[in-house]
Amino acid sequence: MSNTVLEVERLDVEFPTYGQAPARAVRGLDLTIGEREIVGLVGESGSGKTALARAIMQLVPPPGRIAGGRVRFEGQDLSTLDEEQLRALRGRAMSMVIANPRSELNPLLTVGEQIGNVLKYHLGLKGKELRERVLEMLREVRIPDPERRYAAWPHELSGGMAQRVVMAIALICNPRLVISDDATSGLDVTVQAQVLELLKRLAERHRTAMLFITRDIGITAHFCDRVAIIYGGEIMEIASRDRFFANPMHPYSVLLLAAFSHNPKLRSYWLKEGEAASEAQPAETGCPFATRCVRVREHCRSVHPELRELEAGHLVRCHYPVERRA
Amino acid sequence: MTVLSWLGQRLLFVAPQLVGILFVSFLLVKLIPGDPAVLMLGPFATPDGLARLRAELGLDRTVVEQFLIYLGNVLQGDLGTSWQTTMPVTSDLAQRFPATLELVTLGLLVALAIGLPLGVAGARYKRGLLRTGADYYGLLAGALPDFWLGLVLIYVFYTMLGWAPAPLGRIDFAVIPPEPVTGALLIDSAIAGNWQAFRSAAGHLVLPVLTLGLINAGPILKMTQATTERMLDSDFSRYAELCGLPRKVVVRQALRNALPSVITIVSVLYGFLLGGAVLVEIVFSWGGAGQYAVQGVLNADLNPVLGFVLYSAVLSLFIYLIVDLLYFLIDPRTR
Amino acid sequence: MTLLDVKNLVQHFPIGRGKAVQAVNGVDFTVDAGETLALVGESGSGKTTIGRCVLGLIQPTGGSILFRGEPMGGRRTVRSPELRGRMQLVFQEPAESLDPRIVVGRTIGEPMAALGASRADREKAVLLAAQRVGLPERLLGSYPAELSMGLQQRVGIARAIVSRPELIVLDEPTSALDPSARAEIIDLLIRLQKELGTAYLFISHDLSTVRYLSHRVAVLYLGSIVEQGPAAELFAAPRHPYSVGLLASVLLPNPELRRESTIRLEGEIPSPIDLPPGCPLEGRCPLAIDRCRQMPPAEAVAPGHEVRCWRHEEVARMEKAVDYFERFQSEAERILTPAPEKREEEWAS
Repeated sequence: MSNTVLEVERLDVEFPTYGQAPARAVRGLDLTIGEREIVGLVGESGSGKTALARAIMQLVPPPGRIAGGRVRFEGQDLSTLDEEQLRALRGRAMSMVIANPRSELNPLLTVGEQIGNVLKYHLGLKGKELRERVLEMLREVRIPDPERRYAAWPHELSGGMAQRVVMAIALICNPRLVISDDATSGLDVTVQAQVLELLKRLAERHRTAMLFITRDIGITAHFCDRVAIIYGGEIMEIASRDRFFANPMHPYSVLLLAAFSHNPKLRSYWLKEGEAASEAQPAETGCPFATRCVRVREHCRSVHPELRELEAGHLVRCHYPVERRA
Repeated sequence: MTVLSWLGQRLLFVAPQLVGILFVSFLLVKLIPGDPAVLMLGPFATPDGLARLRAELGLDRTVVEQFLIYLGNVLQGDLGTSWQTTMPVTSDLAQRFPATLELVTLGLLVALAIGLPLGVAGARYKRGLLRTGADYYGLLAGALPDFWLGLVLIYVFYTMLGWAPAPLGRIDFAVIPPEPVTGALLIDSAIAGNWQAFRSAAGHLVLPVLTLGLINAGPILKMTQATTERMLDSDFSRYAELCGLPRKVVVRQALRNALPSVITIVSVLYGFLLGGAVLVEIVFSWGGAGQYAVQGVLNADLNPVLGFVLYSAVLSLFIYLIVDLLYFLIDPRTR
Repeated sequence: MTLLDVKNLVQHFPIGRGKAVQAVNGVDFTVDAGETLALVGESGSGKTTIGRCVLGLIQPTGGSILFRGEPMGGRRTVRSPELRGRMQLVFQEPAESLDPRIVVGRTIGEPMAALGASRADREKAVLLAAQRVGLPERLLGSYPAELSMGLQQRVGIARAIVSRPELIVLDEPTSALDPSARAEIIDLLIRLQKELGTAYLFISHDLSTVRYLSHRVAVLYLGSIVEQGPAAELFAAPRHPYSVGLLASVLLPNPELRRESTIRLEGEIPSPIDLPPGCPLEGRCPLAIDRCRQMPPAEAVAPGHEVRCWRHEEVARMEKAVDYFERFQSEAERILTPAPEKREEEWAS
């Protein structure tokens, strides 16, 4: 990769739990995102994907904390920056698009004010210039009738419109990296498709790299350059999109794809027919996925697998990766 | 909906509300034991004289009839006469109600000046001396009775230090009070340009206002702190931080979202204190409306009581109207 | 055999000033015994309202609902006693549909209690239902908050099957769940249908689940069924522009498989208040013509496949008949079929 925007190195995020060892939401995670690259990160709830997003922004909600490792943004170790320097980065050089935007927007500020605030506090724009930039951005995210929407309140927006406003906020300072955390999950399917296409187009136009976090592996197939699968706070598999979908090697990746299959035999093999396997918690020792894996062996329960490069650019954290007949 | 049409709708309901409040208090007041006629004529009254006085006062009619007569009088601006002061209730209240209003308004302003910043600071810094201090203050203000604090302040600042004037009314006996315009001494003396009276009135206000302020800052502080904290923990504050807005701005936005709760508690305190400040009024011999009403209750002097209820009700409805108007301005979702 | 027959169902909710939310505007469909009909639509399409009407939870504004030929409804006596326990509901949010202060075993038994079953019968039925949904017996004494969402939904399903109903309305039963838990619940529902012969009215916006689970599909838009037909046929050859748009929005986990379409829907679903007469999609449809201001009739384009569009022949000409779900299956087969697992020694090399 020519230029990296983001390097996450052996990152640990912990949440203290009363009377027990802290819960490790993110465990020794490595991830690199190159310039203008869109990386899809697929994980289910509790996989640590949101903790990772917050840790990259250096805003893990307390009492959680970054317990180890580092995040480098454009070569700069974020742990060496003070709060004021971090603040200057957030929303300007690296920004976030979040889910459920109607509760994330301040109910007492108009759309124009909320978008404008970012410009005001990061770039010091004001007055007519600020208004023009905001209107231009509203047009860019394809909000119809931008003059009127400028003065609209968040509660007057539909889910899709609110999502576009949040995208406008995220992109208006031309960030180098946008992190999208489950951003389109609350939207209706046709609206989701529109919003995703728009987001991709905007990322291209603004030359922005993106970490696209989602529960829906289907989205990543159409939207991302690389795909990473996270489970138990660790990357299980990461590869370029085409390689990944042509030859997924981690049993968990295959399980996620099995949910789309209509073949009862294959489905019941991967999903363990009749069992609520998805209820199992990640294992503490050995492979975190061992408690759910249909192919688990003795070795998996005791030895923690490393992320190994099995093909060029295709890394898998599994002792016994899935192989297929040629 | 525009503000005006909404305001019109609200005002339509004011009249029936007032009649309702008046009717209920009329009934309640009638339940107070004690015959005004007996109290007025004293121990040597003849049964004949009593009967005549009762008929004169309309006490021999049914309660509903009495109420309708009273209501008719009220509509003509006549609230009856207090037999204790032998003055029309309207002129008594014209003198006393502003005294209470001045005291309560200034007291609550002081309470806000203490409670709001402390509450915000407490919400902003969840640990540390400031937060601990704010917590203890809230606890203490809730536990202390206001009249006791008043007595302590008098003891310290009048008896011991001699800084404060004697707690005997609203102005020095030696100072000629200004011509009443609003009834509030500070405003009236300022209008008259009578700075001697202004100083004296202000001096007399300091201790009772401080008493009310210090005590009522407690609930305001608690409410401000709790709501601001909740707003700072809310999704939109987190998002504002993720957008890199300065902490100062995030706190300001959270406070703005917390403001409706603060306004609510202030309006409730206001309505409550109109009558509730009576103990403080007594301690400082304030001669306010609360004191007047309590005297009325104790001596079966009904007109002052009803007059006080009516004034308080009108004022409370007015305050709630303003509160709703403020919500309307602050929160677009109510429009 | 027809189990449920819904004719010209209308549901309007007045909101004052003579206006009404026109949630359902004349909907016809049937559900046969043992089959699954999916009601597909986005928010505001009226699919949840239809489910509520069918269950008798709300009184329809107009139309008729026949269950086994007998009319449902009538004022107040929304559901006749004979129908009790023969229809059940599974909710979208499992946590909100379970009483947090009652252990789940009792929750599951509640329909039986309402039917007046004896204590012994009730316990037996609860155990059987729990077993059927794969809920371990030891969890019957837990409170909902102690269970994960997937298990909570199993409780919801157990409660629905405990009275052995003939029809279950599934109101987005999996949309709150994670993908792998979702797949497990779907498999469970399919197995239960095989074992018990229950018919499902499956309300969903998740098309890949719908394609897998349903025999027939009805596509709803703003309170009207714009198209309905056998699942395989409708997914392969959608004839209504809205169905096309909906299918083109589906993102299957394969970069090559997405319905390429020249028909693109613009904008968002308008509010269902004061709908203009005519085709509900008229304002968003790239094929709209003047005639679309009148409501098109339901036209049969194949046996059991009906569409309400003046221009459905145009759509048929423009769209390739490809079932991407079906095409995905061969790819899925390749990916999901593992080579024989190697023995431990072979891995070492």
